[in-house]
Amino acid sequence: MSVRWREDKAIALSGDSGLDDAEPLLRMLSAHPGAPVDWRQCEGAHAAILQILMASGAAIVGPPQAAHLRNVVEPALTRYRERGFREDP
Amino acid sequence: MNEFIEQFLLEARELVEQATGDLLALEETPEDRERLGGAFRAFHTLKGSAGIVDFDAMARALHAAEDMLARVRAGDVPVTPALIGDGLTCLDQVVQWLDQMQVDGEPPVNAEAAADAIVARFAASRADEAPPPSANTAWLDDLLAHGAAFAGQARTAVRYTPDADSFFRAEDPAAVIGALPGLVLLDLEPNGALEPLDAIDPFACRLIFSALSTTVAEDVERFLRPYRDQAVIISLVEPGAIPAAARAVLEAQLGLLAEPAEDGRPGRIAAAGRVAANVLRHLGRHTDAERIGASTDPAQAIRAILGDPASEVPASVPTSLTGQETRVLRVDVERIDALVKLVGEFTVLKNALGHAAGLARDGGDATVLAALLKDQHARLGRLTDTLQQSVLSIRVLPLRHVFQRFSRLVREMAATSGKSVRLVTEGEATEADKAIVESLFEPLLHMVRNAVDHGVEPAEAREAAGKPPTATLWLRGAREGDKVLIDVEDDGRGVDVDRVRRVAAEHGVATPEVIAAMSDAEAAELIFAPGFSTTSEVTSLSGRGVGMDAVRTSIRRLGGAVSLLNRPGRGVRVRATLPLTVIMTRLMIVEAGGEIYGVPMDAVVETAKVPREHIAPLGSMRAVVLRDRTIPVLDLAEALGEPRVAPLKTDAILVVVAADNQLGCLEVDRLGERIDVMLKPMDGLLAEMPGIAGTTLLGDGRVLIVLDLPELLR
Repeated sequence: MSVRWREDKAIALSGDSGLDDAEPLLRMLSAHPGAPVDWRQCEGAHAAILQILMASGAAIVGPPQAAHLRNVVEPALTRYRERGFREDP
Repeated sequence: MNEFIEQFLLEARELVEQATGDLLALEETPEDRERLGGAFRAFHTLKGSAGIVDFDAMARALHAAEDMLARVRAGDVPVTPALIGDGLTCLDQVVQWLDQMQVDGEPPVNAEAAADAIVARFAASRADEAPPPSANTAWLDDLLAHGAAFAGQARTAVRYTPDADSFFRAEDPAAVIGALPGLVLLDLEPNGALEPLDAIDPFACRLIFSALSTTVAEDVERFLRPYRDQAVIISLVEPGAIPAAARAVLEAQLGLLAEPAEDGRPGRIAAAGRVAANVLRHLGRHTDAERIGASTDPAQAIRAILGDPASEVPASVPTSLTGQETRVLRVDVERIDALVKLVGEFTVLKNALGHAAGLARDGGDATVLAALLKDQHARLGRLTDTLQQSVLSIRVLPLRHVFQRFSRLVREMAATSGKSVRLVTEGEATEADKAIVESLFEPLLHMVRNAVDHGVEPAEAREAAGKPPTATLWLRGAREGDKVLIDVEDDGRGVDVDRVRRVAAEHGVATPEVIAAMSDAEAAELIFAPGFSTTSEVTSLSGRGVGMDAVRTSIRRLGGAVSLLNRPGRGVRVRATLPLTVIMTRLMIVEAGGEIYGVPMDAVVETAKVPREHIAPLGSMRAVVLRDRTIPVLDLAEALGEPRVAPLKTDAILVVVAADNQLGCLEVDRLGERIDVMLKPMDGLLAEMPGIAGTTLLGDGRVLIVLDLPELLR
């Protein structure tokens, strides 16, 4: 399991976050609205994880471990957020 | 050859056959969904198997074709003759590649250029009819705005909308797009309105990925092939343009090459050439890369590419390999079962023989033993006959194997000559020996070409003659007894016999008197005579000028004969009569000059013993009058350069043979028995020997030379 609830009241993603982690992540985000998601230890994120992160609006703590997440995926998430805030005043 | 490749070749040929059939049927009835689906599946499977054997060029070419068919299926594009033609061209290229693989056991190394040509063909037809994808490109503008930093490098934009259920197929679209070659920028957006967190279904994919890649569209397409229906790929590069960075690298290589240096220059040329080729390959310009690799002067080649980005070297024409034997054969299980049954019967006979041998050892009754052996010999004879039949039936192939290649060729010939020709094939299921079917392509090609070039009239002339403007060309196969008949028939103008007589006289095929004495039918057959055709034109199909005499020679080499039925004004039928099998030949053994030779029995008319004085000189030859006919006599020993041994006083022994509708006598020393043999065609040095058709082994181990009568009598 690479999704866990940390004592500092953050959700931590670590290792390879696969499809199996989508439901636990979703449950945790619903149980702790507003909790940040720390994916600095993340080495891979399934599309299911990405779409939950997009939908949740939770603050994301990065940069993630894996290069492609850091270089490509995180900027995309950030851009999506910014665009969302811009379009949704 | 690798077993894998063998299997691939086998299946690929079947798929090509199927795809060809479907495409041609589709041309007739464009709305036939089933045929369309069949063609699509065949191309798809072919492409897949090309991938399995790592034959990327072939996969690339087939992908282009499959793509086009997918668009037809989606209703985006109508079925046009041009589209069918492109598909057939692609299949033809595939067959050429398969032929090369058959020889080398590996995918051909120089296939990129040909694949480029096929891809370009489909790209061109696509550009012709497809409006530019202008609608719904807001995402592209967004993407380019976000990726302004990559403006110089990005070559391809991708919009990937995974299926909602893709997670259930164990796909991770994020991993797919993350692994996209050359990925520099990604945009994420939800597919449709974003649902609140508590309503979200974590197992349904609701994402759209937009991405910029520095890789050429072609490579991106190849990578995304499994998700093709979910992705839109847009090339950001003008076709043919070389990006600035690549141009700089190429120019640097030119600089290196221009430096004067005595030491290590060859190494440097090679290295610079390699770098340049790699750069071009990276750009997806495989043809240019090959061109540099093949060039002895890379600097020149690089300059040409930089200076003239659109220039393309014509792909070298691969040598025809039609004579190549297929080494793998698909055999009906029933035929194998029959063989297995035979093995059982042979075992029974072997045991019976063992019993007889024991009887002989123990001093059994000679009469009983003789009866036993006689019976067993008869049984062995029957079994051998059956075995022979069974084995021969395994070595057969349907004529379809060679007929199918003509559908495209006839289209092409007709297009080149500006005539309208419809090809009708009949009896393509007729089976003949594999060796024969496989050697038929070349002679048939010449026959068909001759029909299209000389037989078929231009449409206006046909209409003036009251014929339909589209000519019909029949390619027929039929079985007649132990012969296979193959007809190439056209409904054209027929052979102009007067012209043939004139040309034959001009070319010295025969003396004017002989030509004048010929009937029209005989004169028409002069087109097969050596020296009749003087065409020196290099044809696009055969690559060299050949006359119909080449047809007669190759058919004869297969043990067959060619005949012509001329109906002036109504067309010509050229018929090749071939033996069903090349394996068994009935021979008569003759002795001459102390050597024995085999004479094919089907050519022997009779044998005769005549007093030597009846053979009279006739011109430069000798002749004898037999049954009121004057027949030339050939001393076999002399003709084959052997010393004469038999005394000249005795009566002459003559074997009267018929070849090419003419009779001849072979004078021999002795007549021998008649035997059935497996005739082996000559190869190596002996293949060039005139007058010899092949060899076979006799029971006592001696080699028997079998005579080629038509050649001897010529």
